[in-house]
Parts: sequence; structure tokens; C-alpha cells
Amino acid sequence: MTVGGGAGGAPSAIDPKKLRVYGLAGALVGIYLAAILNSVLGTDIFSILAAAGAVAAAVMGANAVRRVCGYGIGTGVPSIGMLALGMGIVGASFGLSTAEQLGISMAGVIIALVYAMVFGYIVGAIANKVMGFNIPIMEEGLTDLSGAGAMAIIGWSYAVSGSLAYADMVTKVFNTGYLAIIFICGGLAILHPFNANLGPDEKQDRTLVNGLMVGSLATVAVGLCSLATLSTTAALITIVIGAAAWYYFYVWYYRLVKRDAAAVVGTGLLPPSAL
Amino acid sequence: MNFDALTIVYILEIVVGGLMVGIGVHFVPVGGAPAAMAQATGIGTGTVQLAAGSGLTGLLAAGLMMSVTDNIWPILASGAVGAMIMMDATMLTGGWIYAYAVGAPFASAKVNYDPITGYSQPPYVAPGTVGQGIPTVCYVSGTIGALMGGIGGAMIYYPLMMTNHNPSLSALFAIGIFLVNAVLASWNIQGTIEGFHDPKFKRWPKAFRSCLVATLILALVAVTITGGA
Amino acid sequence: MDALSMGLVAAMGALATVAGASEDIESDIGSQSNPNSQVQLAAQVGNPHRIYNKAISGEPPANALWATTAAVVAYTLITKFAMPALFAIAIGASVAALFNGVFSTSAYFGRSASQRRFNQWIYLDIVRYTTTSIMAHAWITAFCITCIAYIQTAILTPHHPFPMPVIALIWGLTVGAIGSSVGDIHYGGEREFQWRLFGQGLNTMLSGQIVRKAEAGLRNSIDNAWFCTKLGGPLTGLGFGLTVFLDNWRTTVFDPVTQAGLAIGMGLFFVIIMNLYNFYVETSIRKKYGPYPGYKGDIAA
Repeated sequence: MTVGGGAGGAPSAIDPKKLRVYGLAGALVGIYLAAILNSVLGTDIFSILAAAGAVAAAVMGANAVRRVCGYGIGTGVPSIGMLALGMGIVGASFGLSTAEQLGISMAGVIIALVYAMVFGYIVGAIANKVMGFNIPIMEEGLTDLSGAGAMAIIGWSYAVSGSLAYADMVTKVFNTGYLAIIFICGGLAILHPFNANLGPDEKQDRTLVNGLMVGSLATVAVGLCSLATLSTTAALITIVIGAAAWYYFYVWYYRLVKRDAAAVVGTGLLPPSAL
Repeated sequence: MNFDALTIVYILEIVVGGLMVGIGVHFVPVGGAPAAMAQATGIGTGTVQLAAGSGLTGLLAAGLMMSVTDNIWPILASGAVGAMIMMDATMLTGGWIYAYAVGAPFASAKVNYDPITGYSQPPYVAPGTVGQGIPTVCYVSGTIGALMGGIGGAMIYYPLMMTNHNPSLSALFAIGIFLVNAVLASWNIQGTIEGFHDPKFKRWPKAFRSCLVATLILALVAVTITGGA
Repeated sequence: MDALSMGLVAAMGALATVAGASEDIESDIGSQSNPNSQVQLAAQVGNPHRIYNKAISGEPPANALWATTAAVVAYTLITKFAMPALFAIAIGASVAALFNGVFSTSAYFGRSASQRRFNQWIYLDIVRYTTTSIMAHAWITAFCITCIAYIQTAILTPHHPFPMPVIALIWGLTVGAIGSSVGDIHYGGEREFQWRLFGQGLNTMLSGQIVRKAEAGLRNSIDNAWFCTKLGGPLTGLGFGLTVFLDNWRTTVFDPVTQAGLAIGMGLFFVIIMNLYNFYVETSIRKKYGPYPGYKGDIAA
């Protein structure tokens, strides 16, 4: 499905290393800040911070998709997004469950991140060594993707559960099935930006702003779920901030589209060159 | 968490399930985007998507069966049958479109004679294409692929359920493991394949090794996860 | 087996048929999934067009998103606010349709903007009138699939152990897989290339030469829905309807606890019948259409 042509090496203005630091740091800070503030102040209105962390992770994942798919992997962009979330969901539930069994539920995020990134690296190495892809950034790209998937899932799950305790996660996120929307919405936040902007004139900033836009939309969806699990105030805060962020990024995205497109016209026939 | 003999059996079941998914994907005749223009033999969609569609339909059937019994055989059979029904209904109705809307006879460009029916193929391949539609050999191959995918999905789900007793968690976890294996296998076949008669099918050992390593790592942690409070 | 369960399974089959049909038409209006590659290619080979270019990740994940969104919203409203199921599902489907609008427009903008060097313009009137009909079809799909998930988890016995959103996710993936395997061929193989010889697939040399003009003026994506509703949509519906109906019929007629063997045997019977039917279709069309006249090789037809 990559007949449309890749980005040809994907030139980028923002260095992937910097984005990785922003993404991972943003996710960790967001989730831990939310967890600490919530437990110290005995409230759940700071859950939105974890969702913001998840958005940061998703943007990092979108950049990784952009870099890996720029080489053309023969199966299209969607499969790699599904892979990211497949790896992420295993990492996330393993991390949270193990931390609970060890008795330190706060460490779950770190365990999940480390496991997911190691697993992503191994899958990347398999792709290069066993299947002979020979894409130089495959290991790096899949490490990023897997970590982003795990962080996105934990971040948005926290925005639903309001607690890092595994028992809360299970009753509020898994048993209700809300993990399904986190899974698929998170997957689209990672794969949609590059997929929607695929083409020879793809620009990194436009792709990443699209990632922020989809991430904010996912936050709205998660906020709707948290109506059932958190206090109404916390849920409304998540929904309203998510919707406001979505609007802001959508308008920004549209501005970039107008900047990059050949022409944006109200109506009209084909361009004069094509008639 | 104690690693007794039963845990090792569960780990092995997950690994075998993952391998079934990985190999099963190779059987599914997928033509990718060209097949949607009747330009290539097979089903006109992506490998992962179709494997996921059928395997997870099987998972639904297996999950329903698992809610009433703990016996592994009906669960595996239920998963397999559910997946096969989805795949066959898809290929059948897809075949109707090739036959009655595009008006093209089914033909494969990879073999001269269909190994099952013995029908000659090249005279029926439209000029400028590499075959179209779903000939019998592809159809049977797809059914086998769905069978393996369905058993694989159920075989991942069963040990997870036995360790954590939480259908929702097990289902999502099984979806995760399923997708990882399906994507690895689809990378191995580079997008398109016609079935077990396709020369590309000989690549399956690579997918076998890849899925073995990947699923083993996932299985080792999967059995440690508890079902919560 | 009781009459209520049978009726419910029949209703699920009917809902699935509608969902499949609307799913396929939704993707055809937006040129999603596999035929999208030709729409994308058209501008590159010098044929800019006025066709919607909605590339949302392939149909299965996209439809899984609509269905799951509708299901979580409905589930929240039902469990937390004790709303009647039908209203809750309708509201959920409306939220899903709004999500669909966001994804559709951003994909159309993004894909067209990334084709600047091929002079592919962005037409805002297309966005205004096509997006709404895409959203309307997505609403139908999401509504039907969430209804199926609700019936399976809350009414049909035995209740399915998975929660409603997970079932919606799986059926969404499945309907997308079926839609992109079945209905898309009618759009990609026939509607996009109506000026070539009938009775064969697309010759590789003609890639990207899609039909851009209509009976009057330029072709737009709503015209494609009109065409694909005739066969592609209904057959997709049939495919998904068969999947949902046959799969649930056998566990409803035969009790999965005491008659598991019969339920599985019945499924195998359906599989064998479908294999034979495909063989019949292959044989009959080979006889009716015959080999291609231009064939020069030495293998007898």
C-alpha cells in the first residue's frame, strides 16, 4: 500500500534524538507528576497530566514511524502502528503487574518502558538480521516505537484509572474494556500522522502537528471514558482541555496545510495544467 | 510466581500459538493493493489486516467457548472454525466481485496448473496483470491459513486465561501477541503471497525463527501477569 | 435454543449486513484503503483530480476506531448514567462520526498537501459536502456494530465474556478487513477505470489513469458511492453478515456446553460448503468467459 511513494529518506528539521528525549521525558514526567499530585493531594483532577504525557510519547512514536516507513517496508504504514501498540500493550501490562507483585506500584512505568524498549530492539534486530531488511535505523526506530506504545497506553490508561495501582487498572481499564479505545486510538495517534501526510512533499512539522492533533482527540475519547471511573470534575477537565488542545492543533495543522499545498481553493475545476 | 511444570506448559502453548499465527499468515492469499484493482491474484487487502480480521473473529468464538468450558480442544476447534468462517465468507463474496463485477476468470500467474483442480492458468491471466481472483488452490490455502490463525489465537488466549482468569485482559493481551506475530510474518513475505504454491512460501523458516524468538520473550512475561484483585 | 435467541441472532446478522454495506460505501466515498493507491498515483502521473483522498490507516484500524469509540461512549452512558441502550448507542455513534470527520479531513488535507509538486489542489467544497456523507455512513457502521456488541454481551445467552468495547474493536477490525477485501475491488477494479476493456483487471501500464470526468463536469466521490452501492456495498454486507450470522447461529442452535461437537461440526460443514461454492464459481466462469484472446503461450486452456 505504499505505492504513493515514501518520503525518500525523510529529511527532518527536528533531530530524532531530541524528539526522543522530549517524548520519553514528557511521558515520564507527565505520568509521575499526575500520580504524585493525585496521591499527595488526594484528588484525581490531575489525571489530565498523564494524558499529556501520553500525547508526547505518541508524537515520538509518530516520528519513529516516519523515519522507518521512509525506507518503505513493503506492508504499509498501518501494520507498523499496530505492531507498536501490540508491543506496547504487553509491555504496559507486564510492567504494572510486576511492580504490583514487587510491592512498588510506582516503578511499573519504568519496568514497562525498559521491557518494551528491549523488546522493540530485539524485534528490530530480528527484522534486520533474520529477514534481511538492512534498514540502518530499524532497531532504533522500533525501540522508539515500542517505548512510545507502552508509554501511550500507560499514560491514557492512567487518565482513565486515576491511579497506578494494578488492581485499579484492571477493574477500571481492563475489565470495562476501555483499554480497547486506548489501544486503537493510541495506535492511530502513532500511525495516522505519517499515513495521512504520505507523499513526496511531506514535511516533518506538519506530520508532528497532526500527531499532536490526533493525540488530543484521543485524550477527549479517554476523558469520555473517565466519566464512568473518575470524579465528574476530573473527567470534564480532561475532556475540555483535550478538546481545546485539539482545536488549537487542528487550526495549526490547517495553517501548515495552506502553507504546503499547491493551492487551497473554495471550488473550481482542475488546475489549468491538467485540463 | 512459581515456575512449576504447568507454567512451562503454558509458555510452550503461547509460543506454539504465536508460531501458528506466524506460519498461518503465509497461507493466506493476499494480493495487497494491486489485487483490489484485479491486477494480482488473491484478496485485495493487507496481510496483517486480513489475518487479524479472521484470527480475532476466531478469538471471539474461542472466548465464548472458554466461558462455558475449560477443555482446551473445543476451545481451539471453536477458534479455528470461527476464523475459517470469516475467511471463507470474505473470499467467497470477494470472488463474486471478481467474477460478476469485474468479469474476470480466476487465475494465478505463479503456477501453470492449479495443483488441486488441475486447471490451466496462463490462458486466463489478463494481459498486463499477474492473475486475478481466488482460484481453488488459493481458496483452500486461505482456509488453512485461517485454521492456523484461529487455532493460534485461541492457543494464546487459553493459557493466558488459565493464569489470570480475566477474559478482558487475556483478550487484549492475545490481540497484542497476535499482532506482533502477524506483522513479523507479513514483513517476511513483503506484502503479497498467493498461498502454499507460491515460491515465496519457501521463506517460512525465517518467519518461524523470528516468531519463535519474539513470542518466547512475550510468553515468558505473559504468564507472570496476574488478573488483578 | 429458544425463540428469543434465534431472533437476536437474526437481528445481529441483519445489523452486520447493513454495517458491512455502509462500511464499504464509506470507504469508497473517501477512496480509502487499497484503491487509494491509484488515487494517490493519479496526481503523480499528471492527472490531478477532484476525488476525496481519505487515507486513514487502512480500513480495519479505522473502522475499529469508529466502532470502539461508539462502544465506549455507549458503555459509559449505559453503566454510569443508566441511559436506555438504543439512545446511548446512537449518541456513541454520533461521537464516532465526529471522530471520523476529523480523521477524514486531516487525511484529505495532508495527502493533497504532500503532492504539491504534482499540482494537486485542495478543494474546500469537496471537504464540505463529501465529508458529511462519509460521516453519515460511518455513523451507520458504528451504530450497527455497537448494537451487535451490546446484544452479544448483554442479551444473548451465554453472555460473551469480553467487555463490549473489546467486541466492538474486534468486529470493527473484521468489518474493515472484509470491506477492503470485497467491496473495494468493485471500486478499484471497475469504477476507477471504466474506460478500459471490460472483463479483465487493470493493465499495469494504465496505473494512475483513473477516470476523472463524469457525464457532466468532473467526477466527484459521491458519484462513486452511487456506483458502488449497486454491488460492492451489498456484497460486503453479505460477507460480514455471513460471518456474524453463521458464527453465532451454530453456538445458539447447539448448546456450547452439551453440544460443543455439533456446533463445531456445523461450522466445518459451512466451511466445506463455501469451498465447494467457490470451486463452482471458478468452473462456471471459466466456461462462460473462456481464455483471453491475446494469449500466445502453449498451455491449452
